[in-house]
Amino acid sequence: MSALILISVLGVVMLYLGIFSRKQVLAPVAILGLLAAIALFATGWHIPHHLLGSMLEFDGFATSFSIGMLVITALIFLFGPDYYERKEWHVAEQYALMLFSLVGGLLLASYSNLLMLFLAYEVLSIPLYVLAGGKKRSLRSNEASLKYFILGSFATAFMLMGITLLYSLTGSFDLGKLAEHMAAPGASGMVLNFGLFFVVVGLAFKVGAVPFHFWKPDVYQGSPTLVTTFMATVVMMGGIAGFFRFIDSTGMPDSLARSMVLLTLATLLVGNVSALRQTNFKRLMAYSSVSHSGFLLLALLTDSGLHEGHGSAVGGTLFYYTFTYSLATTGLFILFTIAKRANAGAEHNGIFKGLWHANPWLALCLLAMLLSLAGIPLTAGFIAKYQVFLLAIGAGWLKVMGFGVLMALLGIYYYIMVAREAFLPAEGSGAFVVSRLNWVVITLCTIGVLAFGLWPGWLV
Amino acid sequence: MLYLFYLLAAISIVSAVVVVASRSPITSVIALVVCFLSIAGHYILLNAQFLAMVHVIVYTGAILILMLFVIMLLNMNTLVEQRKPLAARLMAVVTGGMLFLVLLAATRQGLGQAPETYDAGIGLVRTIGTVLFRDYLVPFEVSSVLFLAAMAGAMMLAKKEGTDNLNLPPSSEPDERAA
Repeated sequence: MSALILISVLGVVMLYLGIFSRKQVLAPVAILGLLAAIALFATGWHIPHHLLGSMLEFDGFATSFSIGMLVITALIFLFGPDYYERKEWHVAEQYALMLFSLVGGLLLASYSNLLMLFLAYEVLSIPLYVLAGGKKRSLRSNEASLKYFILGSFATAFMLMGITLLYSLTGSFDLGKLAEHMAAPGASGMVLNFGLFFVVVGLAFKVGAVPFHFWKPDVYQGSPTLVTTFMATVVMMGGIAGFFRFIDSTGMPDSLARSMVLLTLATLLVGNVSALRQTNFKRLMAYSSVSHSGFLLLALLTDSGLHEGHGSAVGGTLFYYTFTYSLATTGLFILFTIAKRANAGAEHNGIFKGLWHANPWLALCLLAMLLSLAGIPLTAGFIAKYQVFLLAIGAGWLKVMGFGVLMALLGIYYYIMVAREAFLPAEGSGAFVVSRLNWVVITLCTIGVLAFGLWPGWLV
Repeated sequence: MLYLFYLLAAISIVSAVVVVASRSPITSVIALVVCFLSIAGHYILLNAQFLAMVHVIVYTGAILILMLFVIMLLNMNTLVEQRKPLAARLMAVVTGGMLFLVLLAATRQGLGQAPETYDAGIGLVRTIGTVLFRDYLVPFEVSSVLFLAAMAGAMMLAKKEGTDNLNLPPSSEPDERAA
């Protein structure tokens, strides 16, 4: 809780700093605040659960996810000074909104009450609607903002409806009470199933599971790249954490678990197959994130009511998966911005051409991070997928797991296609200008991806 | 007390009819204000002070004034004779009648029953304050972060970006204004 207060106040401080239009100090102050919040989480300095009215619970799962989100946000903010170098207006507001959104993410990782789930979801989303429209003169950015806002409002409404139905059953927003109600004999009924289903719809929208994924490519493409990075990493982590907390504490009736299997299969299929034909790098990353949320849902499924008793293993796998995925994605988007500048604002996959000749180290970083997303051995992505498949085998989802492996193999193709571009000769494009700070962040992300791949024990 | 209830009920119904029947939008909105105020009176009769105040502040105060502004800005205060096609009017009658039927069916069973007893103090400001600041303090504070974020976001979207940076080198982003 103290870290949450710190981050919220930090957002207000950012707004005040915006008055003095000294944008050089913004990122350092924000990063210092984030580091302080990490320290608060790491020392476990919290207000006890019962004093918070049983609204939030900072268990091991919440702590690790929170620290993960804070670290990724700090990395994104390190990229900030360079990204906002030419932008003169509303830089402070952008930082502040990202911090407020981060508060929502932290709450999603630690709620133990449906009311808090709703509030956390909204605190996460509303700043994003604004941030997506950050480039006011760009039609695509406007489109992204409006599309995200309208579809997001629908998802919120669904979730609220679900929460209302669940409240009508138990007379309480508490997840523990809900679990008790569901454990009681003869609990399953239309109201319960619909309530759970609507909440799952809301959460599935945020992670972009398939029938609810249509916003993702457009919003990722239209938003400013820094915001896209934030959406693909921190928001994904928050969404998955929220999803896991909901499913882990309530469990799932069989009927709902079956529909979740369909959701997972569709997500894996559509994410990977659509990504094959993408030529725009941001859209490719959007579909790649859809396919990754498919793998994450597969891990989540094994925690459903059909298979009791290994919630912490699932939580650990989810954390490992999302964190290493976020590391690779952050690095890739920074590389993408560098390449985009070198190619006069083009966004197709070919902009990486000539990277190997201009800057071999960055090309290797790109390769390592793409291979990690693809799940090639020796990278963290492989260990992550491997753990997901192990969980699926342990739970007896053999056919689903086989399908997942097939889709993972399909996914390797489009990542390799992007990596191939970097090693092709340049087509008379501009120079790749890399600031020292960006170089450090990219290197950090690459080292993280490789190190956690070789020694996964550090993270789990 | 009973006569007060009848008085308020009569005002509500008459003003509601005026809202629908009046041809001038201004008269409609004014009648709606009267209707909402009388409903707030009903809330006070039911011992729900908080609800009554929120009703007056939010609905009568904010939303209806907003509607009045819109009507004034769009210059809709002239009488406009609206001719809708017959099919549309027929559909409106059918849907309205169906809603009426559903409401009638829903209230029909409840009419004969005695109302359930409940804690008469449940709608008092003191009770709501105690619940809000004891059991729901954390959500209350979190919602303040939500509003702050929404406010900062609205400010960012609405504020004009300055034009004094035109001498800067052109940004590397593609200029999509032409699109």
